[in-house]
Amino acid sequence: MSSEDLLGAIEHSTPAEWMRGAVAAMPIVESVHVLAAVTVLGTLLIVDLRLLGLLELREAPRALTRVSRELLPLAWLAFGAAVVTGSLMFSTSAHSYFFNTAFRLKMLALLCAGLNMAVFQLVTFRGVASWDVNALPPRAARVAGAVSLLLWASVVLLGRWIGFTKGYDFSIPDGVDLGFH
Amino acid sequence: MRDIAEWLNRTPPSVWIQSSFWFIRLLQATHLLTAGVVSVSGLMIALRILGLMRADEPFETVWRRFAPWLSSGLVVMVSTGLLQTLGDPVREFTSTSYWLKMVLLVTGITLTVLSGRRLRSAPAGERFPVAAAIGAAALVLLWLAIVMLGRMIAYDRAIWGSLSLRA
Repeated sequence: MSSEDLLGAIEHSTPAEWMRGAVAAMPIVESVHVLAAVTVLGTLLIVDLRLLGLLELREAPRALTRVSRELLPLAWLAFGAAVVTGSLMFSTSAHSYFFNTAFRLKMLALLCAGLNMAVFQLVTFRGVASWDVNALPPRAARVAGAVSLLLWASVVLLGRWIGFTKGYDFSIPDGVDLGFH
Repeated sequence: MRDIAEWLNRTPPSVWIQSSFWFIRLLQATHLLTAGVVSVSGLMIALRILGLMRADEPFETVWRRFAPWLSSGLVVMVSTGLLQTLGDPVREFTSTSYWLKMVLLVTGITLTVLSGRRLRSAPAGERFPVAAAIGAAALVLLWLAIVMLGRMIAYDRAIWGSLSLRA
């Protein structure tokens, strides 16, 4: 199956047809997507600022493991909601999203954010016991926090940018070049 | 209201914002990023009152951590929001979602400030009165609704139907 066939199948899937058919579907799904995205950003911002030593009060720094344990479930819940709603939005016009530069950059930023998180968890976080309650974590942790902050902010900004470059006019027939690139 | 919006729409600052390709995008992007800071800071304070977040810390400590982020984020958010309104007053003033968002925003700020004043002296682990918990639960819903309504402004008729001010 070529990517062309796959994109076509996604666009003609039941969720895509439903999204196009129900008047309020796109606005509601898009609003939930925005809410989920800002919640992911806000919750990870707290963890990242803790890693950077910028959030906690100097006299009473909260353990990083505690901050993560409290916030990551909320971040993952919001991320799950963002993936579901994002997939629904993608299905409505898979072709134009797939070839949209802002969309591709957003996916790349997401991938990099995931890699940064994986490296942090597998390498830097292993020695957390020795610096868990330090107000200022070691350099590797601070770098991971700064990179995460930049990447997640980019994900949200690039998501917003898709809206600047791509219309949602479903009456436009497939195959018409709308100049999204 | 439409007359005021149309008058605003013709004022030089509004015309300048409308004609500026990058400024309006920068405003919207900044507004969205600060929405994350403001809503999650507000959520942290509300969840602490409910005992669902940082319950082992005194409310005062949680307040001192998150209230500055909430207030400075709000300053940026309200400024960028006002400039966006100035840049497209007819679209904003004729949107039910916009006015509802403004009412909820004022309610959210007032409730948060009142909670902060009343509860700051409470020690760690102390259970708050039922009224405070109800207020905090309302705050959680308010912050979520404020973010969603911001996005809904673009789709007023699809969301509100005959209740839309654009209908």
